[in-house]
Amino acid sequence: MELLWQNGQVVMQSQTQRSGHKKSKYDAVIPEHTRPPAAQPPPVNQPQNPQLFMQEDEMAAWLQCPLGDDDPFCAELLYTDSRNAQSNNTAANLPPISPPPPRLPIHPPPPAPRRTELPNFLHFSRMTNNNNNKSRYESEAVGPSGSKSVDSRFDASSNNASGGGRGLAATRTMSFGAAASAGKDAVTCETSLTSSTGDSSASGSLSAEQMSIQKPPPPPLPVEDRKRKERVADDAECQSEDVEFESGSGKKQTRGSSSTKRSRAAEVHNLSERRRRDRINEKMRSLQELIPRCNKSDKASMLDEAIEYLKSLQLQVQMMSMGCGMVPMMFPGVQQYMPMGMGMGMGMGMGMGMEMGMGMSRPMMPFPNVLAGSTMPTAPATAHMGPRFPLPPFRMQTMLPNDPSRVQATNQSEHMLNSLGTQNQNQSRVTNFADPYQHYFTPQQMRMQLQQNQAMPQPSSSKPSSSMGPENQESHQ
Amino acid sequence: MSSRRSRQSSGSPSIKDDQIIELVSKLRQLVPEIRDRRSDKVSASKVLQETCSYIRNLHREVDDLSERLSQLLATIDADSAEAAIIRSLIMQ
Repeated sequence: MELLWQNGQVVMQSQTQRSGHKKSKYDAVIPEHTRPPAAQPPPVNQPQNPQLFMQEDEMAAWLQCPLGDDDPFCAELLYTDSRNAQSNNTAANLPPISPPPPRLPIHPPPPAPRRTELPNFLHFSRMTNNNNNKSRYESEAVGPSGSKSVDSRFDASSNNASGGGRGLAATRTMSFGAAASAGKDAVTCETSLTSSTGDSSASGSLSAEQMSIQKPPPPPLPVEDRKRKERVADDAECQSEDVEFESGSGKKQTRGSSSTKRSRAAEVHNLSERRRRDRINEKMRSLQELIPRCNKSDKASMLDEAIEYLKSLQLQVQMMSMGCGMVPMMFPGVQQYMPMGMGMGMGMGMGMGMEMGMGMSRPMMPFPNVLAGSTMPTAPATAHMGPRFPLPPFRMQTMLPNDPSRVQATNQSEHMLNSLGTQNQNQSRVTNFADPYQHYFTPQQMRMQLQQNQAMPQPSSSKPSSSMGPENQESHQ
Repeated sequence: MSSRRSRQSSGSPSIKDDQIIELVSKLRQLVPEIRDRRSDKVSASKVLQETCSYIRNLHREVDDLSERLSQLLATIDADSAEAAIIRSLIMQ
């Protein structure tokens, strides 16, 4: 048998009388009777929402009971006690009005997931002594917070019961909506307690009860509000539940789980590390796309190619800009310019080295070494005859078909030019400078080269480069 | 390189990491933007990003210069040496 408070009086009721959660509530009410968890219909271990629901149920039950200023309060006390006893059985039960860990007023037996209004009622009963608003919040807080540690809640609940109103502030931030609705319900219940005595037969739906309770009194809050609040409450519950979880996790931490902290720190570190790596990989991929003819999948080789390509690109841009500036000038004028600008250009030097290397099989070894070594590691490798040079993959292997000036070098400078031109397929090479340019870059080298390059095996087209030749010769002589 | 075994998570790639670090530093030297900054705390991702943008800039410059050179080519005698030069430049 269960002792139920109905209409302000304790009524003995059998467990079977009430619906699932209702009964549980009643059970909770009576300390002597501890309802077995099995009797409680709703799953005990429901998510936070159910907990709130449970609270609602309880609230409904309480609401049905006459909630006088004293009765509810006492009832709550009793409830809390009994509930604690009962809730112990149901781990999932959350105290209907339990602010975060600090205090759980009551652990409602695991009623079916109901609206969160019931708990409000419970709060409300206490509220009568306290601020209504506060109770609302509390009820909200209680609902969600109960999930984590029921036991702790239980302990606190006894304290909470008495201090239910006080705990409100803490839980105020929790589901406001639910609290509000609950509070309203509570109010309505209160007013309609007398009338709701008959409602004690807790139907499954708290709302129904609440509705009935509310109807008689002129609650400012319409049903829709309550529903809205319920929804809000639900959302709030979720939020509060999250808060609960967080608090729970925090509790877990505070419980001395330094290992948890460490593991979490390690996780965080791993995550950040992974994110960083992903970022880098992504950038590597984009870089790979930028580099033409890059078929390397290895990071190091890809970076190598990127470096080379970047250098060659820089050189090319330099050459072209110089060419832009030079072209308007006629050769004669250029002659004066070139020495200044070219002499220092490492790129130029490289270009020269390229030509040397590619060139030809001339004994210009010293030059290539000097020049090529600076930037073009492949320069020596390109010492092939012919228009095509084994340029590095990222080099632009474009023949220079229209290198008329390069063709047939009647004189060595022309050859140089041709070779440079063909070489020019490499971006960095920029050896396509006209002879004037060339030998201005490295006057000494050019001269030596020209002298050495007696017969350049230039298969290039036979353009009348003779014109260049004489010029070159003239210019650099 | 072997002495620079930093993270255990990487394990064998420690050597590669060193290589990569070197390459990244080389890249850093090439890219003027990063070079002029405080070069000690530039992350690899930042270097790569700057490299990408720098390469794009260079590409754009090359295109612009090619355009200009081709325009210049039109203005000068096609048989002149300058034309040849310009053509070579453009063909790069």
